[in-house]
Parts: sequence; structure tokens; C-alpha cells
Amino acid sequence: MNILVICGSLRKGSYNAMLVRALPALAPDGMHLTDAPRVDTMPHYNYDDQAATGFPTSVTAFADAIRAADGVIIVSPEYNWTIPGTLKNAIDWVSRMKEQPFKDKPVALQSVSPALLGGSRMQYHLRQCLTSIDALIFGRPEVIVTFAPQKFDEATGDLKDQTTRDMIKLQLAAFAKFIQRVGA
Amino acid sequence: MAEKLNVISIVGSLRKGSFNAALARQLPKWQPPGMNITPAPDWRDLPIYNADDQNSTGFPATATKLGDAIRAADGVIFVTPEYNYGIPGGLKNAIDWVSRLKDQPFKEKPVAIQSATGGPMGGARMQYHLRQAMVFLNAYTFNTPEIFVGMAQTKFDEKTMDFKDEAGIKFITQQLAAFEGFIRKLTGK
Repeated sequence: MNILVICGSLRKGSYNAMLVRALPALAPDGMHLTDAPRVDTMPHYNYDDQAATGFPTSVTAFADAIRAADGVIIVSPEYNWTIPGTLKNAIDWVSRMKEQPFKDKPVALQSVSPALLGGSRMQYHLRQCLTSIDALIFGRPEVIVTFAPQKFDEATGDLKDQTTRDMIKLQLAAFAKFIQRVGA
Repeated sequence: MAEKLNVISIVGSLRKGSFNAALARQLPKWQPPGMNITPAPDWRDLPIYNADDQNSTGFPATATKLGDAIRAADGVIFVTPEYNYGIPGGLKNAIDWVSRLKDQPFKEKPVAIQSATGGPMGGARMQYHLRQAMVFLNAYTFNTPEIFVGMAQTKFDEKTMDFKDEAGIKFITQQLAAFEGFIRKLTGK
């Protein structure tokens, strides 16, 4: 089972990127995780550009990776109480493609934030946007990692909080079952 | 005579034929006498936000320019489409950039929202997402009347892109007048 992991933050020291790195050790047997191509080389979406020069290669590469995967996990911070523009711009680009890559694609969500709501406001907005592009959105358990500095090792970036690790294990195992049930 | 209010419009679509861009261009036609609406600086050249870039090379000139214009304005009007039931990524990226500026430009800034879409809902789902982001930025978001221009293709002149929907024009005129009162109440201008 091939799972593509999309990270919504680009900075090196991102807690969400740390979470992405923690996932392989917590995945069930047979689940293989791959990082999605970076989204920071995509221009801002502009229909005129799409009409004139087509989709940029950064967009087609991103879409191909989504299409090829059995499921997608989006791990993202919350910016200003909603989806980072970075991530939304990538979704907006691929949503315009003919063979729309998110259609009927199983998608699970995870987020980390340093504060007490753990990116949940972003997650519910993302669920709404994924509804518009017909993704098959996984329900629960949700992975909402709060108070990030307490849960990651400062020096190594390892996810050290056992409760969080257990929750992620549960989600990934349940997501694998979800994909088996709904996947093509 | 009270001081004229300087209001800037930020458009969420980059395409030339955008209904939202057309609507924003025409706002001065319906502005009250005490308000002067001008376009905000263009945000299209902004790179995709990355805190590492911000830390190593600082803010791009486009971000500081937009931030300055927002700070200098008495109010901001967003005129934007809805992409995938949410805020267009490009516009959100611009908001994310300016939100990281030191003297955060949206703080206590009066903000109004308008949207036009080809579908029947006129961008409502996007507007409530934008409102939530504005809460975090501590903007003062204007409430009603809300402007949702649905079925935009039937409401703009195909050739001139003039907004010709009488009911819509009435609502927009009402919103702009009420937004002026809102700004004056909040700023004492």
C-alpha cells in the first residue's frame, strides 16, 4: 500500500515535517510512505497562465504522485487559523486538471501546532475543501498534536510523546483499513 | 466635513477576465461620497511562503508594499472568488506573508468581503473561511449586508464586464455606505 505524504510547511525546522519523519515507524505492516514533491516551485494559480502555457511541471509531478498513491496523508500547520496558502495553492492547481487527482482518493489529515488547538481549525477547513474535489476523507481517529515543543525532542526532532505515537498508530492502521474498503 | 476614507480593494483572482477583478474595478461607482476606493498593490509576484526564506532574506518587497498599503488604509475590501470551497491559495499566501510583518497590518483594520462566482452560492463558503482567518489577525470584519454574487456570468456584461445586476448594485451600495459608518465608528475619523 503506497501512501503519499504531503507536508504543508516548507521550513526546515517545521514540527509538521518532524511528524512526517515519525510516520514510517508508526505505520502498519505493508504501508509504504513517500514524501510528495515540494510545492514551493509552483507559481500562484492563474487561469490565464494555465490557458496560455498549460500546467507547470511542478504541478503535473505533484498530481502524478497523488494519482499513483493508494492514499494521501496531509500533514500541515495552521496559518492564521486556516490552511496555509502554500498548500491551498497546490490543491487549487491540481484541482483544475482533467483527471483530477484527488477524486475518490482516500485522504487522512494530521496537524501539529505549538498551541492548544493543534491545527484543528485548519483541518476542518481542509475537510471542506477536500469535499469540493471529491476526495474520500478519512474520519477518526484524528491526529491533532497540540503543544508541539513538549512532544518533540528538541535536539533530534523525534516525536517522543507516547500518547501521540499511539494515536498516530491507531490512525494509520484504521486508514489502511479504510483504503482497503474504499480503494479501487 | 469628515475626512475622506481611504479604502483599498484586494482581489483574489489573477486572471484578466475575472468577475471579481471586474467588480473591484467598478466599486468606485458605488462608493459613498466619504470614501475613496483604490486597488491594493498587486501580490502576484510573491513567492510561496517559507519561514526559512523570511529569516534568511527578509520580506520580499511585494509583501512590505502590500503591508504598507493595508496599514495606510482606513479599510480593506476583499473581492475574491472561491476556490475548492475555500480561500484561493494565492490570496491566502499573500495574507500569510503580510501576517508575519512586525506591525501586523490587519490588526484592528476594518475589513469587508465581497465575492462573485459562477455557481449559485456566490463564494459564501470562502467568505466564512476568510472571516476565521481575519479573527486570528484581529481585523474588524464588517458583518451585513454580505455580498455574494452568484451566477456571475449572467450579471456582468459580456463585452464591457460592467456589473449590471440591479439588486446586486443596490446591496453593494448599501454595504459600502454601512462600511463607511463602521470604519468611522471604529476609527473615530
